[in-house]
Amino acid sequence: MNSNDKGWNPYLAGALTGVVIVMSVWITGKYAGASTSFVRSAGMIEKIFSAEHVAKLEYFSKASPIIEWQWMFVVGILIGSLISSVTSGSFKIQAIPSMWGNKFGLSIGKRAGTAFTGGLVALFGARLAGG
Amino acid sequence: MNILIYGLITGILFGFLLQKGRVLRYDKQLGALRLIDMTIVKFMGCTILVGMVGIYLLSDLGMVKLSIKATNLGGNIIGGLMFGLGWGLLGYCPGTSMGALGEGRWDAGWGILGMLAGAAVYAEVYPVMKKTVLTWGNFGSLTVPSVLNINHWVVVAAFILAGIFLFVWFEKKNL
Repeated sequence: MNSNDKGWNPYLAGALTGVVIVMSVWITGKYAGASTSFVRSAGMIEKIFSAEHVAKLEYFSKASPIIEWQWMFVVGILIGSLISSVTSGSFKIQAIPSMWGNKFGLSIGKRAGTAFTGGLVALFGARLAGG
Repeated sequence: MNILIYGLITGILFGFLLQKGRVLRYDKQLGALRLIDMTIVKFMGCTILVGMVGIYLLSDLGMVKLSIKATNLGGNIIGGLMFGLGWGLLGYCPGTSMGALGEGRWDAGWGILGMLAGAAVYAEVYPVMKKTVLTWGNFGSLTVPSVLNINHWVVVAAFILAGIFLFVWFEKKNL
């Protein structure tokens, strides 16, 4: 089941993910999320350069630059994906996704610029929407 | 300390299952946005349906507290449109960008840097947002059952039924 690149049935993997989320809420009372952790991390990085500036911003008192449950959850996603992909032979170092490459070519700069801009806009939107 | 370990373990299980479901990849995410590959919608749909039943069950038993985000039309609509635009450009969402990096798709790293920048920019302009966009259409903590004034299990049942119809249709159309 896990030694090819087909992966698991998405319905099954999705349902099991639902069970993980329910168990997590039951045990710790914490609901899964990711975008707040990017705010905390941005604050941690900014603190290196100017702690006073970070202390001045109201938003960093709502999402203070500390490591808490969700931050560890987000780091866990990377580790879990690494474990799953390495043990099933589906780990692949790839700079340009195939669909992107077919459409826009193999320029790393073009992909980097678009991905960076997309990430910036997406996270800003996520925070504005409250998600 | 314990709570951090729980967060890490939950994240590892979550990332493991996302990778197994093959929903971390750019091609899969753009496939869903282009309506040509519904793998992600199948995965997320099942997660939501199972989560819905589990959380409401535990909530009825008094074992968990619901965490209802406030409805704010200005923030929800403008933020949602921005999120969709950014997601389409990047091809990963905040959680899956970490997972994509974990399976070696390192273009997600550009997105992660962009998201850190986006978070920093939002922190700068938050006071302005608070006085403008975030004051438009505030309705507090709404839920579908509370708006319709019906029992939540009726809503859960309707969602499950709609989900099953959607999944059957996806399979018929080979999406």
